[in-house]
Amino acid sequence: MASSSVITHPLSRRQILKGGAALGLGSAAALGLRPSWANPWGRTNAYAKGVEEGPEVALAIRRESLPVAGQQTHPISINGSSPGPLIRLKEGQDAVLRVTNLLDEPTSIHWHGLILPPGMDGVPGLSFAGIAPGETFTYRFPVRQNGTYWYHSHSGLQEQLGHAGPLIIDAAEREPFRYDREHVLLLTDWTFEDPMSVFRNLKTAEGYYNFQERTIADFFADVREKGFAATAEMRGMWAKMRMSSRDIADVTGSTYTYLLNGHSPEENWTALFKAGERVRLRVINGSAMSYFDVRIPGLNMTVVAADGQPVQPVPVDEFRIAVAETYDVLVMPEDNTAYTLFAESMDRSGYARATLAPREGMAAEIPERRQIADRGMEAMGAHGMAGMDHSDMESMDHANMQGMDHSDMESMDHANMQSMDHSSLGGMSDERNGMKASGMLAAGAAQPGSRYDQAGIGIDPDARRTLVYRDLKAFTPWTDRREPGRELELHLTGNMERYMWSFDGKKFSEVTGPLHFDKDERLRLILVNDTMMEHPIHLHGMWMELENGQGELIPRKHTLNVKPGERVSALITADAEGSWAFHCHLLYHMDAGMFRVVKVS
Amino acid sequence: MRKTLLALALGLTTTTAFAAGEHGGSHATVSDADIDRTIRFEAGDMWFDPERLDITPGETIKFEIANTGNLEHEFVIGDAEAQEAHRKMMQEMSGDHGDGGHGNHGGHDMAEGKHGGSMPAITIAPGETAELVWTAPENVGELEYACNIPGHYEAGMSGNIDLQG
Repeated sequence: MASSSVITHPLSRRQILKGGAALGLGSAAALGLRPSWANPWGRTNAYAKGVEEGPEVALAIRRESLPVAGQQTHPISINGSSPGPLIRLKEGQDAVLRVTNLLDEPTSIHWHGLILPPGMDGVPGLSFAGIAPGETFTYRFPVRQNGTYWYHSHSGLQEQLGHAGPLIIDAAEREPFRYDREHVLLLTDWTFEDPMSVFRNLKTAEGYYNFQERTIADFFADVREKGFAATAEMRGMWAKMRMSSRDIADVTGSTYTYLLNGHSPEENWTALFKAGERVRLRVINGSAMSYFDVRIPGLNMTVVAADGQPVQPVPVDEFRIAVAETYDVLVMPEDNTAYTLFAESMDRSGYARATLAPREGMAAEIPERRQIADRGMEAMGAHGMAGMDHSDMESMDHANMQGMDHSDMESMDHANMQSMDHSSLGGMSDERNGMKASGMLAAGAAQPGSRYDQAGIGIDPDARRTLVYRDLKAFTPWTDRREPGRELELHLTGNMERYMWSFDGKKFSEVTGPLHFDKDERLRLILVNDTMMEHPIHLHGMWMELENGQGELIPRKHTLNVKPGERVSALITADAEGSWAFHCHLLYHMDAGMFRVVKVS
Repeated sequence: MRKTLLALALGLTTTTAFAAGEHGGSHATVSDADIDRTIRFEAGDMWFDPERLDITPGETIKFEIANTGNLEHEFVIGDAEAQEAHRKMMQEMSGDHGDGGHGNHGGHDMAEGKHGGSMPAITIAPGETAELVWTAPENVGELEYACNIPGHYEAGMSGNIDLQG
């Protein structure tokens, strides 16, 4: 009773973690309290496209005539719906998923974000042969994680036809947040065109779907604003890149209808709540090509999980979700009124929409759409340092300058180098920069050239609180605390005009062998985006611990968004023997060759 | 409202010498004899257990709150409005997207109430147990307890105190 320690002194993170671990889970029992996760409340099983409950699930894949956005069309269906039903598993189960192919071509299902044996990963030609027409393949794997994930075809362009769905795994133990109700929100992009012809259009005419190119009118407006020389120089640079500053997305709302749980904005899918409830929204971007900016005007959102992994709660007004990412957010609607769930495509060419309401048939105002943004000069970062903004230059430390690829050094604009503040460079000690004797950054430190504090193109950071990668912070360190033994640097490369996408300048068809990870090694993967578009990079079979500067509390993800010109890094524990896919999750980029095999042995 | 908050402020004491000292010694130490009931409480990531309380007006409660989570938590008693005001203030203090911004709040044990009053509050480090002695006010129907560190309330750290008797 004497002196309970009311906190008044700062604790180091390490001390805090030790203390937390010491009490751990046992304390709930010690206090004689029933864990409240034992209550089944907080879970709903309503989903627009049906629910298949594990551990044993049978799925039939068909091509059939179904309406999408009120128009009869010919998508791929899973158990009769497109996108497919919600699959619900429980952590600790042994899942048995029987997939029957009723298409006239081979198919597959990849369980996105799940850690499982390599033969169950569902990548044809890598994990297995694929599922031939008329055949049933049985996936069997132990479920060793929980959270919000999804599944999709890994065969050709089938995913674009609606061959995808949510995969929810209920936690065996209490999650670090609580809620009264949940809704799953799957975002997809639908086209009434044949995906093969979309791909052909992209290959033959750059900007085919970009109706927002800068015009001669924009040119004169720029001249008025910036003067002729600057405008001409800018145009010249973009031309040299074979890009347009308005290449925000390569496939746009001109062909896409953006869907939420398979419903168009006009169909207005409605998620119900009771005023005062905490509602968990499990948001999944199951699009082929589209990033979204998600917000609910009138409601604050609190991000509690990213890519299925719990993170310390982050209150936000808006978050950007890259293709293949998932975010779990909590909202607390206090009033008996309708709210618009608004998911605006990153290029502003359209939006998906649903309504959060206390009863069916309500609608709230649809917010005004923002204008398309122009790619700024930061997108040129990787194309010679001339384009780098000055703050980035300052954040560069000397040791890393030395560690830089020499070819990059040569392409650096000399005048800019001279303008750098040499005194501050000289004054930096290696220790202060968190450098290890190996010359590598300490685990968890953000790479110079990363922009984790920016949401990306088209987001005004002053307009509202927007989630950035820097905000993502785990509750406890991941199990492997080793420093990386080596660094593997890969460049994301491409040519928009010829629609070629690759790693290190080589399409998948041109590389000779897989990337090799030694079994159980700890390595740092560095991704440098030399292109002027965002790429969501996905590694199968193993987590990527995103080194966003949060030290030992870095978050782990299955998909990393790499912004144009950005350099990001992740720590990987290569504990999953076998061959795994590693690729850009923009469907047409992957198909064009932005794909590698990672072999762990 | 003002009356309520004043009553709350007067009702607050803590058995912790440190906390009492910090606030200018305005609180008398309550002896064990004055305590009607001890409630053991758990603050985890991101919940309180129990999730609601029934308390008789005028009852003096000693809360023993164990932080079994990995993060720092606070335990604040007040009405919904004052809690919300406190939450907003904490959010502004933390700043957005700063280095370690969200965990970086000062350990103030007396939160500012909306009308200039203060709410009984205590901050508990992970792995620690803290105590708070509080006398339930008369003429108040319902109060909330909450952790207002940015995101924590929203993620689940709140509960209702029913004072209907």
